[in-house]
Amino acid sequence: MATATVAIVGFCTSRVTIRGESRNTHVLKSPRLNNPWRAINANQFKIGSRMMSVKTKAAPDSISDKVSESIKNAEEVCAGDPVSGECAAAWDEVEEVSAAASDARLKKKEKESDPLENYCKDNPETDECRTYDN
Amino acid sequence: MAICTVYTPHSLNTHLGFHQKQQQQQQQHHHFLFYTRKPNNNNNNNRRVVNNSEISCSADADKTVVIGLAADSGCGKSTFMRRLTSVFGGAAEPPKGGNPDSNTLISDTTTVICLDDYHSLDRTGRKEKGVTALDPRANDFDLMYQQVKAIKDGVAVDKPIYNHVTGLLDPPEPIKPPKILVIEGLHPMFDSRVRDLLDFSIYLDISNEVKFAWKIQRDMAERGHSLESIKASIEARKPDFDAYIDPQKQHADAVIEVLPTQLIPDDNEGKVLRVRLIMKEGVKLFNPVYLFDEGSTISWIPCGRKLTCSYPGIKFSYGPDSYFGHEVSVLEMDGQFDRLDELIYVESHLSNISTKFYGEVTQQMLKHADFPGSNNGTGLFQTIIGLKIRDLYEQIVASRAAAPLEAAKA
Repeated sequence: MATATVAIVGFCTSRVTIRGESRNTHVLKSPRLNNPWRAINANQFKIGSRMMSVKTKAAPDSISDKVSESIKNAEEVCAGDPVSGECAAAWDEVEEVSAAASDARLKKKEKESDPLENYCKDNPETDECRTYDN
Repeated sequence: MAICTVYTPHSLNTHLGFHQKQQQQQQQHHHFLFYTRKPNNNNNNNRRVVNNSEISCSADADKTVVIGLAADSGCGKSTFMRRLTSVFGGAAEPPKGGNPDSNTLISDTTTVICLDDYHSLDRTGRKEKGVTALDPRANDFDLMYQQVKAIKDGVAVDKPIYNHVTGLLDPPEPIKPPKILVIEGLHPMFDSRVRDLLDFSIYLDISNEVKFAWKIQRDMAERGHSLESIKASIEARKPDFDAYIDPQKQHADAVIEVLPTQLIPDDNEGKVLRVRLIMKEGVKLFNPVYLFDEGSTISWIPCGRKLTCSYPGIKFSYGPDSYFGHEVSVLEMDGQFDRLDELIYVESHLSNISTKFYGEVTQQMLKHADFPGSNNGTGLFQTIIGLKIRDLYEQIVASRAAAPLEAAKA
């Protein structure tokens, strides 16, 4: 209990210093809901570990580019010497970025779908995830 | 959350219970040391001090249990991890507020770290030197050993992060000692020092045919990939895989082998699977699962008068065997479950599965019906191994709690 209180106070006061807003408003409602830019702002100042980081959406596309680039590169490297360490390393990179691309696809899909649905996939027994027949 | 019990010669019935965070707990140990007869100088190693004194404490009872999971990239490690953490209850999530590309997963009981974080060469470094990530030269086993040992001893570490998106090593993240630490990746059983830290180890052994089928599923949609590129990648990595990854399976306490089905002649679709769970005999706190009669050789087709199955049906076999010179028990399932009653029927005929209630395996499989393999032996055996690990963990905790009690009585 004590730790939780400390965390809230610390969390709010540090935000107050930056925005100079009253503490209560922050406790009662998250400013991020109405002012999403504030999340970015807060992130720059590295406030509180609770803040979710804001990530650009470009990631999956750039990984896709990396996959096709790495395949082209591997084909080129191996054309010269198909049993060299360089060839193996090049195809290993293909495997690595392909796995990363697959992960990114999954993450993107999860992000785009209903967060409650995602949560309930892993926690179907919780109250908010129960469904009733009637 | 931990309970600490102190037995001193003066007050054998002193019983202190408190709930503290881990760091605070360690300080409490120092505190208690003055209680005992001889003050110990070795203050920076709390565990050992506690072990030698009359204090039986949470630090020991809470000592991190370390599990190793080895498999090649794209062979189902993450699915297995999700099933395992689910058995312990609560979802595993990346560390909050940390690097969004962190490979770590944290749940209430379990922390899963990815051993790629111990790459000593980043993507560019490997390219320049012409070594794959499978090659031990691309990995820092000294650091891996030091950090896993530290966590097992209850000390938090700053673990590097290998960023799979950029291929670079990112600034480290703090890892606090959890109740259960899972180290998953290419080499958890490669270095004998790391291997000796493992309380239980699992190897996912995916046959080439199935690996190919899985990677087609994963990659074909990706621009630039073709059947040729997928094949070329598997082939080019194979020499290093055979040299450095595959041999680890001889050290595993449990191996899950995934092979093409034998129920459909010449099947190469890779949709129906034959999965073998190979369990080492004589592993402390691990009693292999069996079918009907422990130690006998049994072939079982559950589909018949009582249970109707659809094509191609389900076939089980069980029996003793030898694996790299070790005595093992092997449970095999070929085919897939189509309906709920098939799964519950099978579960009710397996013994030693360490469930806490009737139908727990089925419940876990249904809970994650959307995970790959939930209708076949991969999901079944991963779930069972998850339950066995929970059982192992609970036995370790119970034995630690019981040992000092007996010592106090004596």
